[in-house]
Amino acid sequence: MRDEFPLPDPTEPLTGPFWQHAAQGVLAIPRTADGRWHWYPKTTDVEWVPVSGRGTVFSWTEVHQVFLPAFADQVPFLTGLVALEEDPSVRLATRFVDCETIEIGDAVEVTFRPMRFSTVDREVQAPYFKPA
Amino acid sequence: MTWGRAEPLDDIAGQVAIVGVGEGDHSKASGRTTTEIGLQAIERALDDAGLAPTDVDGLMWIPSFPGQVDDAAFHAHFGTKHELWTSHAGGGMVWAGTAPHTAARAMAEGKASVVVNAFAVAWASQRGQMVGGPGQTHAQELHKQQLEVPFGWFPQPVYFATIARRHMYEYGTTEEQLGAVAVTLRRHANLHPTAVMKDRPLTIEQYLASPPVCTPFRKEDCSLISDGGGAYVMTSVERARDLARPVVEVAGVGLGSSFAGVHWAEQGDFTSTPQVYAAPGAYAMAGITAADIDVLACYDPFTIASIMQVEDLGFCKKGEGGAFAASGALAYDTGVIPYNTHGGLLSHAYVLGVAHVVELVRQLRGEAAAQVTDPEVAVYGGYTGPQASTLVLRKA
Repeated sequence: MRDEFPLPDPTEPLTGPFWQHAAQGVLAIPRTADGRWHWYPKTTDVEWVPVSGRGTVFSWTEVHQVFLPAFADQVPFLTGLVALEEDPSVRLATRFVDCETIEIGDAVEVTFRPMRFSTVDREVQAPYFKPA
Repeated sequence: MTWGRAEPLDDIAGQVAIVGVGEGDHSKASGRTTTEIGLQAIERALDDAGLAPTDVDGLMWIPSFPGQVDDAAFHAHFGTKHELWTSHAGGGMVWAGTAPHTAARAMAEGKASVVVNAFAVAWASQRGQMVGGPGQTHAQELHKQQLEVPFGWFPQPVYFATIARRHMYEYGTTEEQLGAVAVTLRRHANLHPTAVMKDRPLTIEQYLASPPVCTPFRKEDCSLISDGGGAYVMTSVERARDLARPVVEVAGVGLGSSFAGVHWAEQGDFTSTPQVYAAPGAYAMAGITAADIDVLACYDPFTIASIMQVEDLGFCKKGEGGAFAASGALAYDTGVIPYNTHGGLLSHAYVLGVAHVVELVRQLRGEAAAQVTDPEVAVYGGYTGPQASTLVLRKA
C-alpha cells in the first residue's frame, strides 16, 4: 500500500483527473465519445466534463468505528452515496458536511474542503456534499 | 432493469454426492495458522467419509486467500505423493456453492473421482498484526482506493450499512427487523457445540441497546472475525452408496453475476443480490421451487445480506424480508424456512460459508445440533457481492 494511503493519488491515470479537477474547485465526471457518463472510469479514452455539483442523497451511514487508523480523529462522520442530477445512476461516494444528519432523497450540493489525515503529511482538496 | 446475468452451467443434477464433512476448530484468536486449520478440517472430513488421504485424487482451494491447503501442503501433511487433480475454483463464499459443479465436471471427464474442497482463515489471530482480514482486498482495488476509501466509505460494514439504510428507505425495513435476524442466529449458535458464540445469548433488548458501529448497524449486525475452517469430500452418487454415511446428492447449482462487479456503489439494484440470477437455474436443475426447500443457509456477513437473500431466493416478496424475519420465519424449530441453523457468520464463525455447507449436510443426515424435522432438500446461498451461487442438496 502507498505510504500516503488513504489519501488519493492525483497522478493515477484512470482516477487522477477527478482529483486534479477537485484541486481547481471543479466536480468533473468522465464521458465517453458516445456522450454517456462513464463511472467508475475504466478507460482513459474519456472526456472529463464539469457537472452541476447538484444531486440527491442515495444512501448514507454515520461511521462510529475506526476502521482505518487515518480516521481515528474523524469519527463519527457521515459518508454515503450521492446520485448526480445529470444522471442519478452515477453515484459518488462522499462525505456529508455542514449537517448533524442527513436523509435519503435530500438535495445536496458539492463543496470543496481540505482532505487531511493525521497519518499523511500531504493534503488534497476534496468534493464533499452539503445540504442544498 | 437488468443489472446482472445468470452464468450458464451444465446440468449435473444427481451426479455427485457430498460424502464427508469436517470443520477445523472455530475460535477467536488461537495462534494457529490457516494451513493447520485447513488440514484439521480435511482430516475430519475424510474421517467422516471413511476415506483415506490416498483415496483423494482431487483437491480444490482458493489461492487468493493465503495459506489454503494446496497439493504440496496436503502431501506434506499426509505423507502422500500420488497425483492430484487440482482446482483454484474452490474455497468458501460463492465457491462453496459452485465447487460441487466444478468437481462434477472433473469427475465426468475422468480427471478425478474423490475431490476435497477446503477453506480456512486465521483472521482472528492475524488481526493483531494488521495483516489479512476481509478489508484488505477492497483497500487494494484501484477505484475503491481512489474514489471510496478517501471519503471513509470503507470497508464492508460501511458498504452494507449503506445498503441497509437504502433497504429501510425503499421497503420500510426497521432496526428491530435487522435485530430479529441477529437474535435468531444467536439462538441457533447457542445450541451448536462448535459455535464461537455458543455461550453468549442475545435478546432484542440487548441488540437495541448495543452502540452503533456504522448506523444502522451495531456489532451484532456484523459477522464475527474468527479462526476456523471447513472441508467437504465429494464423489459420485454411485460410489457414495457404498460409503458409511447417508447419501447427500448435489441436485442443482446456479451462479449469478452483477455487472457492477465488486463496486457495490454502482450496482443497478442496490438492495438486491445476484441470487436473483443464481437461484432460478439451480432450482430448475433440481426441479424444485423455493416452497420445496426445508432448510436454508446463506452467506451472511451482515443482517441485511440475510434479508436480501431470503427475498431474492423467493421465500417472501422483495422488500418483505425484514418483516418475514421478525415474524419468526427463520427459526429452526418453529419457522417457515429454518435458516443458518448453526448460527451463520454472525454467531457460529466467520469461515466464509464452508461451515454453512457442512451444516446443511448434517441437517440432511439428521445429525445437526438444532435439527430440523426430517429435511429432504437443503439450499446454500453463496455470496461475494459481485456474484452469488445457489447450491441445492437433496437426501438421496
